[in-house]
Amino acid sequence: MSDVAVQEEALAHPSGGGVMRRLNIGTALAGGAVLGYVAWALAHHFLQTDQPVTSDQVTVITMAGWTVGFLAGIGAFTGPVRWLLGKDQTHEDEMFLAGKDQGIWRYFRFTTDHKVVGIQYLVVTMVLLGAGGILAMLIRADLVTPNSGFLGPQTYNAVVGMHGLLMIVATIVMVTGPFGNFIVPIMIGARDMAFPRLNALSLWLLVAAIPVLLSTSLLGGIPTGWSGYAPLSDQGPPGMDAFLVGVIIFAISSAIAGANITTTILTMRARGMTWNRTPIFVWGVMASVGLAIPAFPMFMSAMVLLGVDRSLTGQFYVATGGGSGWLYQNLFWLMGHPEVYVIVIPAIAALLELTPVFARKPLFNYNAAVMAIAGIVGLSLLVWAHHMYASGWAPDLNGPFMLTTELISIPTGVLFLVVLGTIWRGRVWTTLPMMATYAMLWNFIIGGVTGIYLSDVPADYALHGSMFVTAHFHYTLMGAGLTGAIGALAYWFPKMTGRMLNARAGFVSFWFVQIGFNVTFLGMFAVGFAGQPRRVSHYDNLFAVGNLVSTMGAYIIGVGMLILLYAVVSSWRSGVIAPANPWGGKTLEWTVPNPVPLENFEVLPVIIADPYGYGEGDPSSLHTREQREAVVGVGAGSSEHDAHGSEGESS
Amino acid sequence: MTSTPPFGERARSWWHRPETRGVLLIWAVLTIVLVLFCWVPAHLMGPPASPTMHAIESTVTVFTAAACPVAAMVWAIALYSLLKWRHRGVDQPSEDGPAIRGNGVVTSTWLLVSSALCVFLLIWGLAEIGAVSAPAASADPLVVDVTGQQWVWTFSYPQDGNIESADLYLPVNRPVVFHVTSTDVIHSFWVVQMGIKIDANPGATTTTSVVPDKIGVFDVRCAELCGLLHADMETTANVVSPAAFRSWVVANGGHV
Repeated sequence: MSDVAVQEEALAHPSGGGVMRRLNIGTALAGGAVLGYVAWALAHHFLQTDQPVTSDQVTVITMAGWTVGFLAGIGAFTGPVRWLLGKDQTHEDEMFLAGKDQGIWRYFRFTTDHKVVGIQYLVVTMVLLGAGGILAMLIRADLVTPNSGFLGPQTYNAVVGMHGLLMIVATIVMVTGPFGNFIVPIMIGARDMAFPRLNALSLWLLVAAIPVLLSTSLLGGIPTGWSGYAPLSDQGPPGMDAFLVGVIIFAISSAIAGANITTTILTMRARGMTWNRTPIFVWGVMASVGLAIPAFPMFMSAMVLLGVDRSLTGQFYVATGGGSGWLYQNLFWLMGHPEVYVIVIPAIAALLELTPVFARKPLFNYNAAVMAIAGIVGLSLLVWAHHMYASGWAPDLNGPFMLTTELISIPTGVLFLVVLGTIWRGRVWTTLPMMATYAMLWNFIIGGVTGIYLSDVPADYALHGSMFVTAHFHYTLMGAGLTGAIGALAYWFPKMTGRMLNARAGFVSFWFVQIGFNVTFLGMFAVGFAGQPRRVSHYDNLFAVGNLVSTMGAYIIGVGMLILLYAVVSSWRSGVIAPANPWGGKTLEWTVPNPVPLENFEVLPVIIADPYGYGEGDPSSLHTREQREAVVGVGAGSSEHDAHGSEGESS
Repeated sequence: MTSTPPFGERARSWWHRPETRGVLLIWAVLTIVLVLFCWVPAHLMGPPASPTMHAIESTVTVFTAAACPVAAMVWAIALYSLLKWRHRGVDQPSEDGPAIRGNGVVTSTWLLVSSALCVFLLIWGLAEIGAVSAPAASADPLVVDVTGQQWVWTFSYPQDGNIESADLYLPVNRPVVFHVTSTDVIHSFWVVQMGIKIDANPGATTTTSVVPDKIGVFDVRCAELCGLLHADMETTANVVSPAAFRSWVVANGGHV
């Protein structure tokens, strides 16, 4: 766009924005490329080339240069710089930042509107899942026969590492990113997030991290798997440096998102939305991002120490220098086990949220559901060393960690009860979201039961490090997590895009994905029991049948995911126009029109009851005062309910 | 407050409800079907070559059996609801379901059962930990030093003249203690059919122990990703008679 055009546009819309008008993803990529190149050239020029760590230092500096350049190019620093110069943002600047009147361009800018950020997260998640899924297809192609030689050990290890990394990032953000950003603020009756600029920053940090993570494959790959165990990671090629920088950027992104979403939920709920009237999905999202706040800094510090080891000849993880790989494992799993609940809790909470809508019944045992989520969060911080039973780190702690791990089955069981109790005697309306709930009930039982084998110390001695573990965590993260995310997508698609998701294509995709999934990972359980290690590029003939079955299943999943992609893209472009409340839901996001206005609510709602008053008929069981006034007339009994804050819970 | 009928009467009316009987029927059928397959995991794990592996396979079978009625109950309730109360079609159901917000009896029963199962798992597991660590405390164990390096295993026998071997040889029915370490990165020493696994860490020695109770050739694999040829880091564990073990030691230049 030429300067003249910009000025004309500025005249046509006498509004602010300043330099932000010129910044978008194009300038971000250019800025990243330029600063990355400058950093690389400077590092090459000034660093001594006879040192073995030089290539590590150059990689870290280049990646840091790229990230800073990318963020500067998107305009992440514009606001802080203006404040430092004493020029605060005007209202017009804020409106420009929120993406007002920018059409499709607002999705390619540093836009603060939570709904734009939610859509951006959705697209980023789909890209990550797609890339990780293609790598999964490569892995399964390599494993189709015992010695296919399709990838070779080096490429195979790099592909396995990249698959794990992309999928972990994708699954961490897949619910709290798109739906936590788009839906939660509306659901709690807020006009935006507490820190809209931090919201945009967390998204663009994630986008900046993706090329860094992908670049590992050009820098020798990560030979360690995504878990990056030291000292193998000390030994790896410069791909490890890009990996550690990428993880640090991602950890910062999640920390910012976590602080932002937590603050929003804590402080910006609508008037009258006491804790026992807050939708269960909001609880789930807060649990997830709140859990990420203590968890991800562990990973980040593990990566900082790895960077010191690699670039500054530190010895944190190197035994000959007094370090220990157990230090890395503890830091990693202090992130790693909370992290699985960071992934699974919001996905299941989304299913808990939508199940009452499709069963047309109140959520069963709301309080127990909240306590179960809290219990899982608390226990998940105390179970990390169950990944280390066989590490030899502290054999005497194996018993206590078995205790904490098995205790998690109690709150998890309560979540099953909540789902079943909600479905029981309901009007089981079998749309795609409800089908996801059913699929979760199937998959998560299998994931949970197989987790019990692994929690048992002696059984873990036999199963640890085998394909059994791989199958187990896919049953939880994919069978429950991704299934929940697909249910959430189908449920909130009408609100986010204004169109209905193609039900027939969604149905076909559902069956392909679920059948393929169970074929793949039941086959993988079998070879795991039989003793096939994880992360091997070839294997004994003994495991041939199970692996062939897994590969066939994986390609069925692949077809199903392509059908889902088709359903999403075609429905987004030309699906049936959705009404504001297609499912008859009672939470606040269904009370606002499609497309959702920039500030969500004209008048902020006042909450008088929880959003689960299905079948109760009584006007005081409606979620908002506005809904009640529409039924019984303005002013009737409103003061009484407002005066009694939390006592209005109908149970 | 309306008068609640006595417990016996409520239990009888509960029992006569079609939902109760329907769910219990599906639950019973599912449980029986699942229990019929409880032997599959242990079968897949193969014949055990040590009391440790025997204990592990029993654990897996018992845990599977304990999980069957639980999984069957969840699926039975879900399936019954789907069969009985399904609403088809694109339009929202015309009326809501009953406004059931919770049920104290159901919730307490659920919590009690799941807590009892949890306690059972824990006690079982603790007893089993004791059982599988017993060989380490035996009077005269054979000591084998295991060294992992990219991407081979080396076994040395300090009690038998420090002979070294790339294959593991063990006499049957004698407790063995393995001292495991690594020269480079972390490996994991895994004798598949004996159910033992312990990481080989550079700069540290870890131990595990077992009593091989079956003559035969078994698999040693690496269970921790250790770089390029991780998949090739396998060898054999040969369990032989005590006499054959003595002659193997002598033939390799050691002394018994």
